[in-house]
Amino acid sequence: MKQAEQIPRNALVWMIAAQFTLLAPHLPRVPIWVVAVSLCAALWRIMVYRGSWSFPRWPVKLALILAGVGGILLSFRNLIGLEPMVALLLVAFALKVLEVARRKDAYVLLFLGYFVVLTEFLFSQDLLIVLLCLCNVILVTTALVALHRPGDERFSLRPLRSATAMVLQSAPLMVVLFFIFPRVGPLWTVPLKSQSAVTGMSDFMRPGDVSRLSRSGEVAFRVAFEGEIPPRSQLYWRGLVMSRLEAGTWSTLDYYDVPADQRRPPLPEVTEAPLRYSVIMAPTQQRWLYALRYARSADTGIMNAADYRLFRPVVIEDDFRYTVESWPAAELETELSPWRQRTELALPQGRNPRTLALGQELAAGSDDSQAIVDRALALFSEQSFFYTLEPPTLPAQDAVDAFLFGTRRGFCEHYASAFVVLMRAAGVPARVVAGYQGGEINPVNRTVIVHQFDAHAWAEVWMAGRGWVRVDPTSAVSPARVEFGLEQAVASEGTFLADQPLSPLRYRGIRWINQVRLRYDALTYRWQSWVVSFDGTRQMNLLQDWLGQVSPLRIAAVILGALALALLPAAVLLLWRRPLAALAPHDRLYLKFCARLARMGVVREAGEAPGSYARRAAQAVPRLAQSIESITRCYQQLAYADDPAREAAALQREMQQAVRRLN
Amino acid sequence: MAGAGGSGIFGLRQSLRRRFAQWLEQRIPPARSITLNQRRIFILPSRTGVFFAVCLCVMLLAAINFQNNLSYALTFLLATLFVVATLHTYGNLAGLTIHAVHARPAFPGQHTEFELLVERGRRREHVGLSLHWPDSSVVQVSLLGEDRVRLALHAPVGRERGWYKPGRLVVESWYPLGLLRCWSLVDLDLPALVYPQPLASAAPPGVASADHEGSSLPQPGNDDFYGFRDYQQSDSLRQIYWKGLARGRTLQVAQYVTHTERSAWLDWEMFAGLGTEQRLSHLCYWALEMERVGEDYGLRLPGVSIAPGRGELHRDRVLRALALYGRGSPA
Repeated sequence: MKQAEQIPRNALVWMIAAQFTLLAPHLPRVPIWVVAVSLCAALWRIMVYRGSWSFPRWPVKLALILAGVGGILLSFRNLIGLEPMVALLLVAFALKVLEVARRKDAYVLLFLGYFVVLTEFLFSQDLLIVLLCLCNVILVTTALVALHRPGDERFSLRPLRSATAMVLQSAPLMVVLFFIFPRVGPLWTVPLKSQSAVTGMSDFMRPGDVSRLSRSGEVAFRVAFEGEIPPRSQLYWRGLVMSRLEAGTWSTLDYYDVPADQRRPPLPEVTEAPLRYSVIMAPTQQRWLYALRYARSADTGIMNAADYRLFRPVVIEDDFRYTVESWPAAELETELSPWRQRTELALPQGRNPRTLALGQELAAGSDDSQAIVDRALALFSEQSFFYTLEPPTLPAQDAVDAFLFGTRRGFCEHYASAFVVLMRAAGVPARVVAGYQGGEINPVNRTVIVHQFDAHAWAEVWMAGRGWVRVDPTSAVSPARVEFGLEQAVASEGTFLADQPLSPLRYRGIRWINQVRLRYDALTYRWQSWVVSFDGTRQMNLLQDWLGQVSPLRIAAVILGALALALLPAAVLLLWRRPLAALAPHDRLYLKFCARLARMGVVREAGEAPGSYARRAAQAVPRLAQSIESITRCYQQLAYADDPAREAAALQREMQQAVRRLN
Repeated sequence: MAGAGGSGIFGLRQSLRRRFAQWLEQRIPPARSITLNQRRIFILPSRTGVFFAVCLCVMLLAAINFQNNLSYALTFLLATLFVVATLHTYGNLAGLTIHAVHARPAFPGQHTEFELLVERGRRREHVGLSLHWPDSSVVQVSLLGEDRVRLALHAPVGRERGWYKPGRLVVESWYPLGLLRCWSLVDLDLPALVYPQPLASAAPPGVASADHEGSSLPQPGNDDFYGFRDYQQSDSLRQIYWKGLARGRTLQVAQYVTHTERSAWLDWEMFAGLGTEQRLSHLCYWALEMERVGEDYGLRLPGVSIAPGRGELHRDRVLRALALYGRGSPA
């Protein structure tokens, strides 16, 4: 029993291998010393196996545990939250590797390993990460198999083979359970990822914010249109509407900033057919969603704010899928309430005096808002304004003055901000809109991929009778930005993704790289829409499509079917006939001979030599004495002669004929 | 009342155990060779399996609380792995044939060796099999490519002479994942012979005389070389030790003798007046004693007579007859 409880060497090898592959995907989010601890623990355990060192005694173990917890407290400043918990799990795993001596320990260790795989999914459900995690599951299972094999076996890949087979055999039933298992809401609140993971736009904007975002090649969201994709110059993905300027920073109005009777926006009249599309957003840790104006969503839990943007009360922590209908031509808020009018005209007192003066000058000629807008845009296009990803920094005070009358080099947020201040100074209600503009159309699956570098800021101006109208001052400075995207707009500057030399987006010119990138992106889209963002609603639709009608009986039938499907390959494998080592032909003939004689009443006893059996048989059945003698002689020569090869064939034939004649 | 209740539960447990034994008897009747199949194999989650199930529940909770689809997928994958492991664990035992080979006879209370042959079924591998009788040593064995493996289990025999049945052999395995225990309770028809307990006694009359008269005296003969002595007139020329003469010794002849012994009979009637078991115990003692000093001995029991002889085989025959006396037909 003692012997059996020990861990075979091969199992230890697999465990240590699994330790590092489990650690690999977590590398970006754990402190480097966790890696060092893992390495040391593995090394120590190997030395223990070789007999050079001994297992740590309990005071040492206790000290190690305390040091691990202390280290995590020092690195993360707290223990609540996903990252510190994962780091703690990995440190526990390393220390358990060090301690593992018996099978019981190994079970704890390996089940902990499955848990480490699960935590990875809380951070990323990317296709490649999932493949790596599948390998990790197989590796941990391999260690589990190796744990039950004999300890003195040579190292082989056999446990890996069986583990892979078992995991693959588990796939069919897993898929069915995945789609059928009812999705219920969280049972209690769980620790969130730390705020460092917030990506994309934020709900305030200072000069330089959007240009910083535009240095990233990450995907912000992907859109699949039901019909034709509108031209890219029309793809203004509204995310945030910023109506308030304070201390040089634009920010959105909070829910409670809006008077209670105006929190629901007046519904615009819609006549034409809407654009229908679905969006899958990368997690942002924020609450707002992106859509073309004017957007409505039938999905539960998605709301329209007073300024016609979509938001979700729950923070978006994972890839999130939503469907939208948009009416680009709808007139928004044709009647402006006094409160709204005040808000959209407010400017900080005494700031940007030159800009205010310029605004009043623009308004002097006429009352027509459109004319004022045109004059302001003409100002941008005719004077020497430059569109650049690397604008000079502006002073904290009177930044708009400094930009309009000084540097004149800016990114979209500079133009949008300056334009809106100008409009408000001219008495035209205006606000900044932040979101994304354009996107890349993937020819593989006709989705629009919107990257972070498509981040954009523009303006909305209110005009009597027309409501809110979009005005993009950037297009006056750099028409290429709206027509062709950022890469073209800053081509002469060479700043596109300048600090991401490895991003495949930089190599769109190389045909095969681009092909691979787009195909992978299409796969990712499919993965996200089917797996990552699968939820209760989609589940209901899917089950209705499959089963026609969702009844417990049908669901049970599907589960049973899948169970059979899952177990069938394994069963076939088990029932596959693998006969015992084949008998030599002469042995087979001899057994046949014995069987014939047995039918005549002469049974060969266990262990009886052929010679004595032959004598007995010849006495019992004298008429066959000659055959019996000749068969036995042939057999003895074939089986026991030193060098039977010489006449083996002849003997074989003789024996065969004799046996056949035996009746 | 409490006492009565306790005995009631005890009685219930007894009767359940008896019912189970009867059921097992029908399901897996005793045989010299037993092939494990679905009728004979039981499978249930092991303690590790239960622990694993608890871990799965925790993982499911995590998946629900984080609303994370891949976590759901992982949980279901592992749950299905558990189900698939049932088949693999079963397959590891199924088809295995266990042959009873030999049980070495022993004296009461001693450990003896049961020899078994484990033969593989259709699968090429049967890994991590563990075999034991309720009170025997545990033997771990794996068939990795070989067709059959011989193994020996050591278990104590009972205190009573005759055939000792070691009970049902437990064949179990946790391979491949340790989550399930798959086992069979096999009644291998492999009883071990238990000899009577040897019991010393004063030398019985027949044997005592044998001690004197039966001591072998060398008689001249032709069987065994005995030694050299000086040549005498009557000696045959063939017996002269020519080599010694060639080396310059005196003329000598090689002497050959034949041992003639008196044989003793160990007789049932020698211990007249004692109980059956005691008689057998004394006879057993004397048989061993005679064997030790190297004399021939025969055995006479009512209905049994074994001609005098010596050597291991003879001793085993005699002891076997003693062990099985009055125990019905020998197996």
